[in-house]
Amino acid sequence: MGLLDRLVVFLKIKKRQASVLVVGLDNSGKSTILNHFKPDEQKSIEIVPTIGFSVETFKIKNLNLTAFDMSGQGRYRNLWEHYYQDAQGIIFVIDSTDALRMVVVKDELELLLQHKDIKNRSVPILFFANKMDLRDALSSVKVSHALGLDSLCTKSWHICSSNAVTGEGVREGLEWLSEQIQLNLSNN
Amino acid sequence: MYARKDRKDDDDSAQGGNKWSGERSSVLQEARVFNKSPLDPKKCSQVLTKLLYLLNQGEKLSAAEATDTFFAMTRLFQSSDVMLRRLVYLGIKELASTANDVIIVTSSLTKDMTGKEQLYRAPAIRALCKIADAGTLQAVERYMKQAIVDKNGSVASGALVSCLHLLNQGCADIVRRWPNEVQEALNSDDAMVQYHALGLLYQIRMNDKLAVSKLISKYTKYNVKSPYALCLLIKLTCKMIEDEGYGTDCPMFNFVESCLRHKNEMVVYEAAHCIVNMKSTGPSEAGRAVAVLQLFLSSPKAMLRFAAVRTLNRVACNHPKIVMSCNIDLEQLISGTNRSIATLAITTLLKTASNESSVERLMKQIESFMTEISDEFKVVVVESIQSLCEKFPNKQGTMMGFLAKMLREDGGFEYKKAIVDTIIDIIHSNEDKMEIGLGHLCEFIEDCEHTSLAVKILSLLATKGPKTKNPSKYVRFIYNRLILENAQVRAASVSALAQIGSECPNLTNNVIVLLERSLMDEDDEVRDRAAYYLKILQKGNTDLFTQLTLSIHGLESALCEYLKSDMSVPFDASQITYEPPVKQAKPAAPLAVPEKKISPGKNVYQEEVLEVPEFAQLGNVFRTMPPIELTEPETEYVVKVVKHIFGEHVVLQFNCTNTVNDQLLENVSVEPVAMNGGWKAVHTIPIKKLGYQETASCFVCFQQPDLLDGAYNSGFTNTLKFTVKDCDPTTGEPDDNDGYPDEYVLEVFEVSLSDFIQKVANVDFVNSWEELGPENELEDTFVLSAYSSLQQAIEKIQDFLGMHACERSDQVPEGKQTHVLILAGTFVNGGRILVRARLAHDPTMTQGVTMNMTVRSNDESLPELILTSLA
Ligand SMILES: Nc1nc2c(ncn2[C@@H]2O[C@H](COP(=O)(O)OP(=O)(O)O)[C@@H](O)[C@H]2O)c(=O)[nH]1
Repeated sequence: MGLLDRLVVFLKIKKRQASVLVVGLDNSGKSTILNHFKPDEQKSIEIVPTIGFSVETFKIKNLNLTAFDMSGQGRYRNLWEHYYQDAQGIIFVIDSTDALRMVVVKDELELLLQHKDIKNRSVPILFFANKMDLRDALSSVKVSHALGLDSLCTKSWHICSSNAVTGEGVREGLEWLSEQIQLNLSNN
Repeated sequence: MYARKDRKDDDDSAQGGNKWSGERSSVLQEARVFNKSPLDPKKCSQVLTKLLYLLNQGEKLSAAEATDTFFAMTRLFQSSDVMLRRLVYLGIKELASTANDVIIVTSSLTKDMTGKEQLYRAPAIRALCKIADAGTLQAVERYMKQAIVDKNGSVASGALVSCLHLLNQGCADIVRRWPNEVQEALNSDDAMVQYHALGLLYQIRMNDKLAVSKLISKYTKYNVKSPYALCLLIKLTCKMIEDEGYGTDCPMFNFVESCLRHKNEMVVYEAAHCIVNMKSTGPSEAGRAVAVLQLFLSSPKAMLRFAAVRTLNRVACNHPKIVMSCNIDLEQLISGTNRSIATLAITTLLKTASNESSVERLMKQIESFMTEISDEFKVVVVESIQSLCEKFPNKQGTMMGFLAKMLREDGGFEYKKAIVDTIIDIIHSNEDKMEIGLGHLCEFIEDCEHTSLAVKILSLLATKGPKTKNPSKYVRFIYNRLILENAQVRAASVSALAQIGSECPNLTNNVIVLLERSLMDEDDEVRDRAAYYLKILQKGNTDLFTQLTLSIHGLESALCEYLKSDMSVPFDASQITYEPPVKQAKPAAPLAVPEKKISPGKNVYQEEVLEVPEFAQLGNVFRTMPPIELTEPETEYVVKVVKHIFGEHVVLQFNCTNTVNDQLLENVSVEPVAMNGGWKAVHTIPIKKLGYQETASCFVCFQQPDLLDGAYNSGFTNTLKFTVKDCDPTTGEPDDNDGYPDEYVLEVFEVSLSDFIQKVANVDFVNSWEELGPENELEDTFVLSAYSSLQQAIEKIQDFLGMHACERSDQVPEGKQTHVLILAGTFVNGGRILVRARLAHDPTMTQGVTMNMTVRSNDESLPELILTSLA
C-alpha cells in the first residue's frame, strides 16, 4: 500500500464506516432484505432462520455498512441489547400483515428505546413496513400509528413500505439511513 | 503441524516470563477495543491473544465477565481478517462453557463452515460443535453430514473429531444417526480422515460388544491404508483379544502379527508394542515382536530407537529372557549421544541383569552421565535402582552410595523424592544399612528446599534414631533444623526431638532443655507442640507417643461436638474411640524385616468413605477394592460397588448415576442380601437426592462374620430402591406430586477370601519363613485338574489368595515341569501368612497340576483357613 493510498484511508474511508443493527420479530423479512445487498454470487436462494445473528457488509451512498442481522425468535430477542452500544443506526423490520403481533412489536420497540445504550444517543431508526405486496398488508401510516411513532420525537426516524422479495422500497430506506449516519459522523 | 506451532508459541511466551499474569483485569478492559467502530483487526488480534493466553494459564472468568467478553468478541465477525477470525473461533471455544447465550454465534459459524473460505471451515465446525446443544445441532444436522464427507480433508476431520466431542455432550443420539456418512469417510483417501472416522465409529459402537467385534473383523480384512487408522485398529484389536480372552490363536491376533511386517514403521512399532504388552502373549509371540524392536534399536532414526528402547524398558520385568536377547544392541546405545535413549538402555539392562558384576559395571556407566540427563530420566534410573535393591540385597551398599551421590546433586522435587523413598526403603529392609542411610538423609536435610521431604525424614529419624547406637547424634541434626528452618520443619523437628527424648531416657533431660528454647518461637504451632511435649516429658509420661492410636476422625468429630456445646465441662478425650491396635494390620510380633504392604495407594473411593462421619469409628481401611459394575452399560441407572474392608466391618459403597433426564430420584439406597447367613448389615446411608446425570454414593455397612469360621465367602444379590419424581427434562424441576417408589434389580457380586488379604512385598521370604517356624504350620496336597499349565495354575492361585508372589516366583521359566511359588500376605486381623506351594505338571498330560502347599502363620487359625478355602 503506497503512502498516497494510506492517506486516503485515513482521511476518508475511515470515517465512512458504520455498523447498523437489523432487528424485528421472526419472519418479518430481515434476512430477505439484507440478501439484496449481497453480491449476486453470494445471494442465498433459500433463506433459513437465523440462529443468533449473522453479519453482512455492503455499501450504500459511499458509506460502508456492517449490518448485524439479529434473530427475531423470542428466545434470542433479549440478546439484541448486547449490540446496542456501538450501533450507529437501527433498522426495524415489521411484517405489516401480522396485525396480531403488532402489540409485541410495540413492546419490543419500547424496550429498545428505553435501553440505556440507545436512550441518550442520537441513533437514527429506519422502519420497514415490510411485505407491502401482500393483500392484507397495513399501510405504512397505519403501522406507524399502531406503533405510536407519531409521538416518538427523541430520535430521527423514517418509515417506508417495502417488498423485500422484489427489493421495492428497500434501497430508498437505506439511503435515508445512510445520510443520517453520515450527518452524525460529520457532527462528531 | 499446527500442534507443533502452538507448542512453540507457548515456549516463547513462557520464556518472556509471565508478562501478562496478574493482568486479567487490564486485559478484560482492553477487550473493549472489540466494540470500537471501525475495527482495528491488528489490535483486536493482540488483545484476543492475550485473553487466550490468560485462559490457558488457568485464569477463570466469572459468568458475567465471560458473557461480556464473549459478546464483545462476537462483533469481530464483521472483520474479514483471516487471522482474527481464526482467533475468534478459539475464543468461542474457550469461553463456550462459562459465558451465557453462546448459541448467538450459531448462524455466523454455520455460514463460515459452509462458505468459500476454506481456512474458516474446519475451525468453524469445531467451534460450532463446542457451543451446540441437541437443539441447535438438529438445526445444523444437514451441514454436519455434508462436512463429514467433504472433499477437503481438514473439514471432514474437523467434523469427525467434533462428533467425538458431541458424543459426550449429550448429543450422542443425533450423531448416531449419521453412520452412513461416517462409513463413507472411512473410505477416504486422506489418512487423517480415515483415522478419525474409525475412531468415531468405534466410539459410537463402543458399548455394543458384538458391533465392535464386527467392526474389527471387517476392517482387519479390509485393506486399511492410513497408518494412523491401522495403529488404532491394532490397539482396538488387542484390547478385544485381552477383554475376551481370545488368546493368540485367533485370526485377530494373526492380523496384529501381520502388521509386524507392514512397510510403515509406525504401524510395525504399534503392533510390536501392543503384542509385548498383552497379558496373553506367550514367549514365542513376544520373541517375534521383540525381534522387530531390536531392529529399531539400530535404526538411524533417533525416534525409533527411543520408542523401541522405551517399550523394552517397560516390559523388561515381564519378559526378562526375551529382552535379554537385545543386550548387545542395548549396550551399543549406551555410548550414543542421545542421553534419553542411553538412560533407558542402561536401566533396561539393569532390570534384566542376572549377575552382580554386570550391575556394578552398568552403574559406573550411568554415573558418568547422570548430570546430562533430565529429571524425568533420572527418576527412571532411581526406579531401576529400587528394583535392583530388591533383587540383589547384597548390592544395597553400593546402591546406597550411588543414591547419596545423586542426592547431593541438583534436581527437582520428583527426583529427590524418588531417591529419598528408595533410601527409606533400604533403611526399612536392611538393618545393617540403616545408620548409613540415616546419615545420608541427615546430610540431605541440612540443605533441602523441599519442606515435605524434610518433614518426612525428620519423622523417620524420630522412629529410627532411638534404635541406633548413638541417638544423640540425631538429636544434634534435628536441633539444627529447629534453629534454621521454616515453621513447618521446625514443628516437625519439635515432635521428632520429643519422640527421641521419650524413647531414650538418657537423652530426656537434654531434649527438655532444647525444647524449652522453642517456647518462644514466633510460630503458634511450634510453640504449642513444644509446650505440649515438654509437659509430657517433664511428667515422665513417655507412653503417650506410642499410644497415639486414637481415631483421628473420632477425635475430629468429638471436637466439633464439643465446640457446639457451651464448653462448661472440660473436653473429655477418653470418650473418643481408640483403634484397637490389630486394625493397623501390624505384625503381631515385631519383625526383623519390616515389610512393605502393596496397596494401590489411597484412591478416591477410599477418601470418600473416610469422609463419612458414621464410619469414622470403624478405624483404618484395610483394603479398598476396585469398583465392580452392577449394571449393563447404557441402562437407566448405572451402579458400581466398591468394597472397603475395615478391621471388623465391610462397607459397601454403591456409586449410582441417574441417566434418566426426566426423573429426580430421592432416598436412593441399595439393599444387598448376603447368600451366606453370617453377614448382618448394621448401618445404611441412602442418597437423599439424585438428579439427572448426577453421581453419588450410598453405603451399607456390614459387621464381618466370623472369618476364621470360613463364613467370609458370600454372593450378594442387590436391589436398587428409590422414590421417583418426574421432572421437567430441561430445568430439572420436579413436579409437585410426591413421587412413587420403584425398584431396580442389580447384578450379583461376591465377597471372597482374597478381599481380606493384603499383599506384602519386600519380604525376605526365607528368613521370615524360618522366623515363623513350624509352630503353626499346615500342609496339604491338591490336584488342580482344571489347569493345563503351571503358569495358569499360578495365576489362579495368586488371584484366589490375593497374595504377593515373592522373588518373582510367579514367573515360570519356559519348559519347566516343577516350580515353587512363594507368597506373602497379611490377613485382616493382622496375622501374617506365608505360603509355599510346590507345583508339578506332567507335560504328557494335557490337564492337571499337582500342588503341595505349606502355610505358616503367627496366627494359629490362618493356615487351616487358607487350606480349607482351596479345597
Ligand atoms: N410476500 C413477501 N414475503 C416476504 C417479504 N419479505 C420477506 N418475506 C418472506 O417472509 C419469510 C421470512 O423472511 P426472513 O427474511 O427469513 O425473516 P427474518 O426472520 O426476519 O429474517 C420468508 O419466507 C420470505 O420469503 C415481502 O416483502 N413480501
